[in-house]
Amino acid sequence: MAGKVLEVKDLVVEFRTDRGTVKAVNGVNFDVFKGKTVGIVGESGSGKSVTALAIMGLIPNPPGRIANGKIFFNGKSLVDMPASEMRKIRGNKIAMIFQEPMTSLNPVFTIGNQIEEVIELHQPHLSRSQRTAKAIDMLRLVGIPSPDKRVNEYPHQLSGGMRQRVMIAIALSCEPDVLIADEPTTALDVTIQAQILELMKKLQKELGMGIILITHDLGVVAETCDTVAVMYCGQIVESADVDTLFNHPAHPYTKGLMDSIPSFDSTSGHKKERLQTIEGMVPSLFDLPNGCNFQDRCSKVTDACRGINGDPVLKPSKGEGHYVACYNPLN
Amino acid sequence: MSEYLIEVKDLCKTFPIKGGLFGREVGAVKAVNNVSFKIKKGETLGLVGESGCGKTTLGRSILRLIEPSSGEIIFNGQNIVNYSPAEMRAVRRKMQIIFQDPYASLNPRMTVGDILAEPMEIHGLHIGKDQRKARMLELLNQVQLPADALNKYPHEFSGGQRQRICIARALAVEPEFIVCDEPVSALDVSVQAQVVNLLMDLQRDLGLTFLFIAHDLKVVEYISNKVAVMYLGNMVEIAESSELYGHAKHPYTKALFSAIPHASTKGRAGRIILEGDIPSPMNPPAGCHFNPRCWNATEECRVNFPPISSQSGTHQYRCYNPIK
Repeated sequence: MAGKVLEVKDLVVEFRTDRGTVKAVNGVNFDVFKGKTVGIVGESGSGKSVTALAIMGLIPNPPGRIANGKIFFNGKSLVDMPASEMRKIRGNKIAMIFQEPMTSLNPVFTIGNQIEEVIELHQPHLSRSQRTAKAIDMLRLVGIPSPDKRVNEYPHQLSGGMRQRVMIAIALSCEPDVLIADEPTTALDVTIQAQILELMKKLQKELGMGIILITHDLGVVAETCDTVAVMYCGQIVESADVDTLFNHPAHPYTKGLMDSIPSFDSTSGHKKERLQTIEGMVPSLFDLPNGCNFQDRCSKVTDACRGINGDPVLKPSKGEGHYVACYNPLN
Repeated sequence: MSEYLIEVKDLCKTFPIKGGLFGREVGAVKAVNNVSFKIKKGETLGLVGESGCGKTTLGRSILRLIEPSSGEIIFNGQNIVNYSPAEMRAVRRKMQIIFQDPYASLNPRMTVGDILAEPMEIHGLHIGKDQRKARMLELLNQVQLPADALNKYPHEFSGGQRQRICIARALAVEPEFIVCDEPVSALDVSVQAQVVNLLMDLQRDLGLTFLFIAHDLKVVEYISNKVAVMYLGNMVEIAESSELYGHAKHPYTKALFSAIPHASTKGRAGRIILEGDIPSPMNPPAGCHFNPRCWNATEECRVNFPPISSQSGTHQYRCYNPIK
């Protein structure tokens, strides 16, 4: 398919710890297309952020390493790339915004300074005054009022939503092909979250970048993504386009996640029934069961799930582009 | 005795802003401004609003963990605002709080048994080793934790289990009223549902009254009988839960609800995107505090602070141009 900018193939990321080696990401595959948004959902510890860091080449080594798999960016393999070349891509062609706008900006530099730093690194031909002009342009692009004044302010002078806008401005200042947004709105209030999501959609349309949106909020996914991958214990258990996933979830875990959100039903005057829950907890990565990782919490579990036939792998389900790793998928 | 367990009248809390060479008072933040509400016995009042709107300050002021500046708190028919510390201690047995972060609110050096015993010790309940142990096991059973948890330390539990320990600790002194300050915000979705169900079961079995503070509007709608919306220290709207979600009168409430992303791809409703940020509470705008972000604002909104729509009635709001 045309317009594929990023391809992740069989990615395995391991961390060495005192209690043995754990696979935080275990055989993950997905593609990112130009102008499209891929959502990665999952609970804490499911490997979403580690996947993102692997793409950026930011896995701390030691203790972590990419044990297997390939990441192709515009056809070039990122895993085998020398560090000096990776540095030219990171922050330039693949940019990332983080969850905490409070901690990811340097408090002792002005925001203008921090935007210019990226431009200086990746576009060295620009003069100082051109860089400043570009920083102001970026602030204007992300909707910060009076950008020519704000450019000289420090992070503490801005609100949380404004800081996240600055983060986006930094990430977009080199016009990346891929933007990785790791929980970009989790720390923000809902009205500000709506502003930021709207802004990301608008900029995607203008600049045509592919976005990887990592989140635990299914609502955010439903509203912003084109395709979705659901992660559990380091593996993708289901992937589909957003309509299919929300209307016909096939994996019991996906269904369970959706049911555990209180539905927002303004017409219901009656006292509501209990929330559906997923019993138990996410298993420890040190102590994963044989077979399907979700077996102990699943209502549809059979002997096949307990490892007789090996781990379930992603197989095509009903509908085009719908994959599920389950022996007893829902219809 | 009235049917209301707790009644808050015109509660205010102002924090001084110190500045200058000698730390003189140079201003004040009105964190909570003339808030009034009542909660019926066995019911839940939800309190929603964005960060910095004063919901946590309000929750803590009611327990007098933060001293309110003025107003009345009537608990079981008695105004507790001027109670002495000794009198207050007796009342506190009846009012407890559950905090947001189950990682920070449990002492890592105490076992779960010690954590549960401490409140009973302070209030002199269930004296005697066997009796106390029996009570602790009963508490663990109520929050669906295994009995062997007693000798473990908080770090051995997951976030959801820790929140259950916090709930058990609050229940240890048999309270009537619990302030739940964002009890599920730090938890994963699937665990969040377990804790919400637990809280509702406990309310039904023990007849508890809750003040449920959260920024997750969906959870609040689910658990609450009535919901109050706060903006910059003021309560801008209060109504029965279904009434508020179906027929919001205040533009801010409407915008807040429309900003929630729905976990469904069917029928995406039109979204109201509010311009700008929440103003600083140190220097709130004149008139209605919401007027700079409101699409319905008129001249009147910029000058006068809107009064509460009606003193009686279950649906009250502060707005000159309510949504029809």
